[in-house]
Amino acid sequence: MTPPELPPRSRGAIGLLEENCTVCMLCVRECPDWCIYIDSHKETVQPPTGRPRVRNVLDRFAIDFSLCMYCGICVEVCPFDALFWTPELAPDEPAAGDLTHERDRLRDWMWTVPPPPPLDPAAEPAKERLDAERRDRSQR
Amino acid sequence: MTLADRAGALGLVSSSYDEVTVDVPRAQWVAAVTAARDELGLTFFDVLTAVDERQAGFDVVLRLWSPAQRDGLLLRTRCPRDDARVPSLAAVFGGAGWHERETAELFGIAFDGHPEPTRLLLSDDVAGHPLRKDFVLADRVAKPWPGVKEPGESDADVARGPVRRKNLPLGVPAPERSR
Repeated sequence: MTPPELPPRSRGAIGLLEENCTVCMLCVRECPDWCIYIDSHKETVQPPTGRPRVRNVLDRFAIDFSLCMYCGICVEVCPFDALFWTPELAPDEPAAGDLTHERDRLRDWMWTVPPPPPLDPAAEPAKERLDAERRDRSQR
Repeated sequence: MTLADRAGALGLVSSSYDEVTVDVPRAQWVAAVTAARDELGLTFFDVLTAVDERQAGFDVVLRLWSPAQRDGLLLRTRCPRDDARVPSLAAVFGGAGWHERETAELFGIAFDGHPEPTRLLLSDDVAGHPLRKDFVLADRVAKPWPGVKEPGESDADVARGPVRRKNLPLGVPAPERSR
């Protein structure tokens, strides 16, 4: 069977880019299905200069795809772009409990996330790009 | 003359995101819908449902469409919470009967004059009206909310401290009620 032609931004599974997660809990709280679980603890780090800083460290990040309704609110709400849609589908499992993907499996989904589709020919350039160009002009 | 202009005779017309809504008093509900069908050409019954507006009561919302004009609008009427009843449209649009039965069981709104006021989807053992905003979902009582944790907290931290009231999601009973 040939794989179907999936449009960009298809909603298969959700990948986690852990480096971007600040454990702000927004996705967990916004999720209408209560299917995201985060555990974390605080760690004090001593930068080379200045006072010690407390930061949150992720202990667990899991999405229960047996409850997820693929609404994408978590992807939308994440302020630091740690969650991404992949067109790959979360595979069937013999037991509903196995559909809870822990952080390692969520990370594996990341490598299947396609690059964002190119802008339409007449579209405005991305805001980041406009900002960068404005910075360049002002420094000249 | 657009549909929205002509709908002014039926009730109060408002527009939001290109969707025209006509608010009709409950007493004129059947007359207004009949006039919309016969005089505005809105002959296609699309959908009827309701919105729980809490203290303000319930809005019954109806969408009609005119195949000839390729345009449609919403008709809306409001009933108070303690007198949740609206005249039935089953005699105006036959298809409205099923929508009203569904709305009746999900919102607890009675449709006066309905030819068959029985349940449509829910089984007889379902108590309450699931789409009312004060309806408590059993799953939400049985399962702890994952979002109760603050950043940097684990389940053990939450078990130790009291539940902070500000961190409870909407539609969930207070802890003392859920036990």
